Amino acid sequence: MVTREDVENIALLSKLFVPEEELDSLTQSMQDIINFADEINNAPASDEGFDNINNLSNVFREDVVVPSYPSEEILKNAPEQGEDHFLVRNRA
Amino acid sequence: MKYELVAGFETHIELQTKTKIFCGCTTQFGGEPNTHCCPVCIGLPGTLPVLNREVVRYAIKAGLAVHGEIAEVAKMDRKNYCYPDLAKAYQISQLYAPLIIGGYVELSNGRKIRLHHIHIEEDAGKLIHQHGDTYVDYNRGGVPLIEIVSEPDIRSIDEAKEYVEKLQQVMRYIGISDCKMQEGSMRCDVNISVRPAGSEKLGTRTEIKNMNSITNIAKAMEYEFERQTDLIESGGAVVQETLRYDDATGTTSSMRSKEDAHDYRYFRDPDLVTINVSREEVEALRAELPELPADKCRRYIGEFGLPEKDAQLLTKYRAISEYFDKACEGVKSAKTVANFIIGQIFRRTETESDKEVFAVATTPEQLNELVKLLDSGKIRNNLAKSTLEKMLDSGKGALEFISESDMGGVDEGALLELCKAAIEANPKAVEDFKNGKEKAIKALVGNVMKNSRGKADAVAAEAKIKELIS
Ligand SMILES: [Zn+2]
Repeated sequence: MVTREDVENIALLSKLFVPEEELDSLTQSMQDIINFADEINNAPASDEGFDNINNLSNVFREDVVVPSYPSEEILKNAPEQGEDHFLVRNRA
Repeated sequence: MKYELVAGFETHIELQTKTKIFCGCTTQFGGEPNTHCCPVCIGLPGTLPVLNREVVRYAIKAGLAVHGEIAEVAKMDRKNYCYPDLAKAYQISQLYAPLIIGGYVELSNGRKIRLHHIHIEEDAGKLIHQHGDTYVDYNRGGVPLIEIVSEPDIRSIDEAKEYVEKLQQVMRYIGISDCKMQEGSMRCDVNISVRPAGSEKLGTRTEIKNMNSITNIAKAMEYEFERQTDLIESGGAVVQETLRYDDATGTTSSMRSKEDAHDYRYFRDPDLVTINVSREEVEALRAELPELPADKCRRYIGEFGLPEKDAQLLTKYRAISEYFDKACEGVKSAKTVANFIIGQIFRRTETESDKEVFAVATTPEQLNELVKLLDSGKIRNNLAKSTLEKMLDSGKGALEFISESDMGGVDEGALLELCKAAIEANPKAVEDFKNGKEKAIKALVGNVMKNSRGKADAVAAEAKIKELIS
């Protein structure tokens, strides 16, 4: 059973702001999602060794260095940057 | 009432692979900020992590070195938390099916500190806090770590120190990490609680985060033990919380709650497939392990008859023990080799890092040659000692400093002549000895040694002189 408190808590942990008036509808949506997941979980499983859709295991890379990106490219996605760093401003 | 300390450790160790755990970026320490990064390790949408095979191999070696059981099936999970050091807002780690289960670290007092498990995970980025703002460098983000989680089996600060040192030693021996606490390639979280001595029940614990030196671990534990004991004695209760140790004040303080949201909502990472570890691979990796320090120490004591203290000094770093093993090949007494190393060579490798590298001008083969000259009676101990000093100064072999005439020892007849000459030359010493001054004999023996250029056997000379003058 998903409660309003669950939604508030998840929003807090995810650093999301949820307006008070949306809480009820979000709680219902979340409950619907969980119900759907439960339905899938309860479906009869035929393949015992099922692990993932392609039934893959042991997918590895070799330990070989490939060139990294220039920092300008990496920092392009930073909302703010300073001295070649991602910059997170103190909101307080 | 007497209180007992109870502690467990979570130890993070950075693996010395060439590349990060899920991408091909270099793991090299340092570098300009954000230059060892790619779309995978800064968590851009649409990228897929692929596990570095070497990380699994290194972690299995670590597990074997601490007697852990290697899981046949291991999986990766997401640990979710929002903080700027994680670009994806989750860390890829292991919770439900870690790679290594159990194991232990044995301390010198015979106690075994049990391990709960060891898992693999990615390191987070580095944060620099300045004027309330936070600067983020993701070079370290995605560097592979193992986390070694112990049971709360540690009962004293000395045990804690030894536990960390033993882990450091064994991980360096097997070559998976340099374990440099000051550079952050080894970091400890310490869980600590107190309870009345003799009690079986665990008290409420606090967790001191991110300790980066053994000295600080000891100081923080001491402080926390006192603090918790005082709290309980004065009728209070310990609150379960995460603490930070402040080196400057020597105290612990609570970390802000938002750094401490213990609701990680772990779930299986759908981007990464199951790891199956075959028993053949485990055995192949076991065969790659060098002789471990604890086994070496036992061998030095058992087979070589070394005192435990010597054995520990010689096994502390792999380079020293390998030097010692080579220098011992075919010699009569390993103790003689140990004495040269501990007594003379250690004086030239004073710091811990000198000892770890053990770059000595004299090769182990050269020391071996010197000890064999001694073994065969061709030279005497004093000459061997002074020769070793010259060898260490120059990097040259023993025979550069010992001439033919220095070798061959002194036979019975020659010794008799030398002793007679010494007596004749030192009537005063002979007189003193006869009057009960035992020590006067040393002057006579010294004369024999000098005139034989160190070749005579001092013990035999003393006996012979006594025989002649009494
Ligand atoms: Zn990368």
